[in-house]
Amino acid sequence: MPLDEQMSAPDEALLVLYANGDAVAARVLTARLVPRVLAQAQRLLGNRAEAEDVAQEAMLRLWKIAPEWRQGEAKVTTWLYRVTANLCTDRFRKARGVGLDEAPEPEDERPGPAEGLQERARADALQDALDRLPDRQREAVILRHIEELGNPEIAEIMEISVEAVESLVARGKRALAADLSARRDDLGYTDDG
Amino acid sequence: MMDEPENTDPLKAFFDAGKAARPEPGDALMARIMADADRVQAERAKAPAAVTAPAPVRRGWLERLAQALGGWPAMTGLAAATVAGLWIGVSAPAGLTGMAQDVIAGNDAAYLIDLDPDATFVLADGGM
Repeated sequence: MPLDEQMSAPDEALLVLYANGDAVAARVLTARLVPRVLAQAQRLLGNRAEAEDVAQEAMLRLWKIAPEWRQGEAKVTTWLYRVTANLCTDRFRKARGVGLDEAPEPEDERPGPAEGLQERARADALQDALDRLPDRQREAVILRHIEELGNPEIAEIMEISVEAVESLVARGKRALAADLSARRDDLGYTDDG
Repeated sequence: MMDEPENTDPLKAFFDAGKAARPEPGDALMARIMADADRVQAERAKAPAAVTAPAPVRRGWLERLAQALGGWPAMTGLAAATVAGLWIGVSAPAGLTGMAQDVIAGNDAAYLIDLDPDATFVLADGGM
């Protein structure tokens, strides 16, 4: 299949092409999926290096399962979000007690205009507050409000009911709001959001 | 849904900032992942050749011994005979020990066999 056609092909079709030996399909899938996997992993773990390892491992599992992929059974992204979350959970359990404070600082520390700094401070404050949430609440809030997935897909990823997703998101957001409102006063955020 | 409308959500500014700060994968990570994809694909391409030309099956020493002795049925007979011999050795019937001693001592009487009278007749007649 020509590259321009592959760029618009669904993930599932590209995975089948890859399993059949197509040389380009993996590149299109990598470019399309890795940013999402990495973002999810980094938000769940709060650690760039570990998130990169998880992203590579999740994609490796995708490459290996490709020949057994059954069209129409599940979306590739749904499967990948689930695998990524499970890998993060494994690492989080191992790391608990070691301390996530050892995570390296974000790479982009360039000074910018005041507005940019406030955005950066908000993003960092959000990540800190997410890190303090229980695992399942954090996962549900990230998928709902940052990855912007629908509750039915989140339910499929987390293998729970839609009602349970709604409950996790609501509880997670209440905890985030309480955590961030205290920091909002400390850091002097303007209330323009 | 239980969430409040987005435009009044006090967390919206934080979520927007979080979305804007999405981490982007570096070239090194992308290269590692694509190298994995190529390796898995290449390994899979090799796999069917191994199926069409299977390596010769290596037989274990026990299986080769069984084949040499006539297969597993022969081995069962051999095993039965071995167990019987072991049993005779461990719990010899009364008289067997004495007979063995006679044989070893060269006592001809030990070879006398009390044949059935009919069998004697048949032997004399050359019927066997």
